[in-house]
Amino acid sequence: MFPTRALFGRSVWKGPNIVPLPLPRTFPPPPNTPPIRTTKRAATILPNFVGLRFAVHNGKTYVEIQVTEEMVGRKLGEYVATRKRFTYKQSKNK
Amino acid sequence: MVFILGVNFPERNLLKKSLETFFGIGANSSGRLMSRFNIHPTCRVGELANKQVLDLTAVLSDMKIENDLRREVLNDIKRMKETGTYRGRRHALGLPVRGQRTRTQIKTPVKLNRMERRL
Repeated sequence: MFPTRALFGRSVWKGPNIVPLPLPRTFPPPPNTPPIRTTKRAATILPNFVGLRFAVHNGKTYVEIQVTEEMVGRKLGEYVATRKRFTYKQSKNK
Repeated sequence: MVFILGVNFPERNLLKKSLETFFGIGANSSGRLMSRFNIHPTCRVGELANKQVLDLTAVLSDMKIENDLRREVLNDIKRMKETGTYRGRRHALGLPVRGQRTRTQIKTPVKLNRMERRL
C-alpha cells in the first residue's frame, strides 16, 4: 500500500540534505589534518565523505567520527549521541 | 492434510489464513498470491487443485520468508549497532527506536528490543 514507506521521513523531490561543509581540497587529505568541525547534524553523509574525519557537535562538545562506507546515506548526527546515560551520583552534604 | 512449503495444513482451514502463518506473509501478500493463481478469497485448503498447491509452493520457495527474512532483519539491526547509529544503540538498550516517549509505557521495546531480538 505504501511502496515508499522507507522514504517517508523526507520528500523525494527534495533529495538528500546537502549542506556546504568545508571539505578538503585534496583527497585523501594529508595526515594530521584536523577533523571537520560542524554543528550540522542533519547533513546527509555523501559518498565522497568516506574516509574523512568529522567532529560533530553533540550540544556541548565536538565528538570525532570516522566516516565509513556503511554510513553513506545516513545523517552525521546519528553517530553522535546527544544524551548522557543517567548515573546516580552520591552527594556528600545533604 | 495438504503440504504447502513443507508445512501441513488441515483441509478445513482457510487458505488465506494458512498462508499468513508464514513469517513475512501478511494479509496483503497472501491476497496477492491467491489472486495470481485465480483462487477465490474464501477458499479452503482442501479445495485446492494439486497444480495450485505446487504453484503456490514454487512461488513461496522463491520469496524471502521465514528464516531468511528473520536473518535479514537481525543482520540489519546488527549492522546498525556495529556502525554505532542511534537506532542501533536504542535496540541494544531495549528502548524505543523511533522517537517515542519513554516516560511511561515502554513495555513492548523492553520486552523485544535487544541485539538478538526474537521475531
